[in-house]
Amino acid sequence: MATGFLTDTTVCIGCKACEVACKQWNQLPADGYELTGDSYDNTKQLSGDTWRHVAFIENPKKKRLTGDVDLVALAEDVKEDLPNGAELDGLGRWTFMSDVCKHCVEAPCQQACPTGAIIRNEFDNVYIQPDVCNGCGYCVPACPYGVITSVPEDGRAFKCTLCYDRQIDGLEPACAKACPTNSIMFGEVEELEKLAEERVAQLHDRGYPQAFLYGTPEVGGTGGIKGNHSKFILMDVPETYNLPENPFLPQDKVAGATIACGVAAGVLGAVVAWAFLEG
Amino acid sequence: MTDEKHRNGKPETSHHPETDPNRDDKNYYGIPPIKRAHWTWQIYVYFWIGGIGAGSHLLATIGYLLGWRDEAFFRTTKYTTLVAMVVSPVLLVWDLGRPERFLNMLRILKLRSPMSTGSWALSIFGSLSGLIATKQAAEDGLLLGDNFASRLAKLVPDRLISVLALPFGLYVGSYTGILLIATSVPMWAKNWLLMGPTFLSSAVSSGLSWTSLVLHIGRWGDGKTLGALKKAEKAMLIIESVLIAASLVRMGKWSKPLFSKKLGPLFVGGTILGGIVAPLVLLFGKGSREKSILASILVLVGGFLFRYVMVVGGRDSADDPESYFTFAKKDEKGGGRPEVSE
Ligand code: SF4
Ligand code: SF4
Repeated sequence: MATGFLTDTTVCIGCKACEVACKQWNQLPADGYELTGDSYDNTKQLSGDTWRHVAFIENPKKKRLTGDVDLVALAEDVKEDLPNGAELDGLGRWTFMSDVCKHCVEAPCQQACPTGAIIRNEFDNVYIQPDVCNGCGYCVPACPYGVITSVPEDGRAFKCTLCYDRQIDGLEPACAKACPTNSIMFGEVEELEKLAEERVAQLHDRGYPQAFLYGTPEVGGTGGIKGNHSKFILMDVPETYNLPENPFLPQDKVAGATIACGVAAGVLGAVVAWAFLEG
Repeated sequence: MTDEKHRNGKPETSHHPETDPNRDDKNYYGIPPIKRAHWTWQIYVYFWIGGIGAGSHLLATIGYLLGWRDEAFFRTTKYTTLVAMVVSPVLLVWDLGRPERFLNMLRILKLRSPMSTGSWALSIFGSLSGLIATKQAAEDGLLLGDNFASRLAKLVPDRLISVLALPFGLYVGSYTGILLIATSVPMWAKNWLLMGPTFLSSAVSSGLSWTSLVLHIGRWGDGKTLGALKKAEKAMLIIESVLIAASLVRMGKWSKPLFSKKLGPLFVGGTILGGIVAPLVLLFGKGSREKSILASILVLVGGFLFRYVMVVGGRDSADDPESYFTFAKKDEKGGGRPEVSE
């Protein structure tokens, strides 16, 4: 049985309950109270100490105005065309997205790991065994989504465990439990896929044709990754959420590169031998 | 407030591309979408020293196979390989987040992880080169005269071991390139085919230059050896320059970090002009001992800078959202995402 997440960004309200719940349950330290000056997102990104991150994406009104802008008037001008006569604040709206490890089906981080610290556990989640990792850091540049990160103070690499410990006890992950809008859903991958399909169809019906599922072999989980166990329903191009559209499994190139090196070794050896024979 | 600030009627509240009229690229506040490798100076120094060790071993083995007889040549190459193989693991363990767990590298062999295969190759090659150098030391009387250990060491079949160690040595010289390409870093991954061969050619040229440098400085080598080394150096530098040029073609626009203000002078001036063109000019000109020494030093410095700019350039490549997003893009527009016309 494979478990995973489905994160429906269309209902996310940006409350960051998931971030807090994750930090609490996993006893992760704070990341420095830095202010970015960009929107309300001061977490910035996933890291070894932050395993859920809520992105705050500004989605302003498309209408063009010139000259001095009266903010009050702008805010009262609430007529952005939305399907079903929905109303919207004149200053535009936010798109939120709670990012997390994608738990790749063919996980680049796991294939990169030389110590075998990264395994697939009995729930088919990608899990780092902290007692095995020696902090080589090779998994970090391998991840196509910038998830797994070395923690300098500790030396090792960390990322979302999909609450392995809670799952063993039959509990759902802390973030899914804490999410007040059910934007984060936890369950069996197949069931979540069905749910996602229904939800995307529903959004299309309601007049949001841009909704799509990210983390399938067609988009997000591409290039040999064979999809992700942790998927997202998105409303804009993946790059807006800092996600790649068409990532690759880096290790697919290893065999070819090794053959190229073998050929090169033969040629270079022959050249040196030639020089010695001639010289 | 000027129109400039509110170009599209929105207060400038963020740098999101849709809000900021000056940007049309899509990304999230310019935060890198992938994480760069933490690798510090130990890594590119290791790439360089390990390469010299691997190149020297190739020379020694070819010397054996061709029945070469120049004691100073074998002594230089073998001790070089030994020293390189003692220093390399130290640098690698130093770079680990948990150095005391370095042996975990050898608890498993993973063929698709160059970090794993490289660690194994380094261990095997290092041990074998230790055996070879021990025999050499015994013959040189460095094991405190005629005792049991030195008699035992003299029994080591060093020629056979050299040949057996050769594939591992060559892998040590080239896997460092594979290590870089098997990542999500655009500049590295784009050059997946030629990174390993380029690193290997640089390893061999560094090994040649180092050996020639030592023999020249000590006035040890016989004329035949020095001539062969010079010929090989010239050929290797030409091959290396072709491989670097082809690598740049394969990297395409993702090679940008190599030409940045920070790395451009080191790469163009240090690696290409200083490390390849200048030594070639020196070597093709009328030969002299001083010129050979200078050429060797230039090649060694150029080889080091090559590894430095490749590692650091990859870091810059990972930090650039634009670079990663164009790399991770379907060629056909849209990919699996439904197209929406606004
Ligand atoms: S998203 Fe990154 S860290 Fe998570 S499983 Fe995939 S490769 Fe590993
Ligand atoms: S840092 Fe740890 S988990 Fe990551 S590749 Fe190295 S040993 Fe494996």
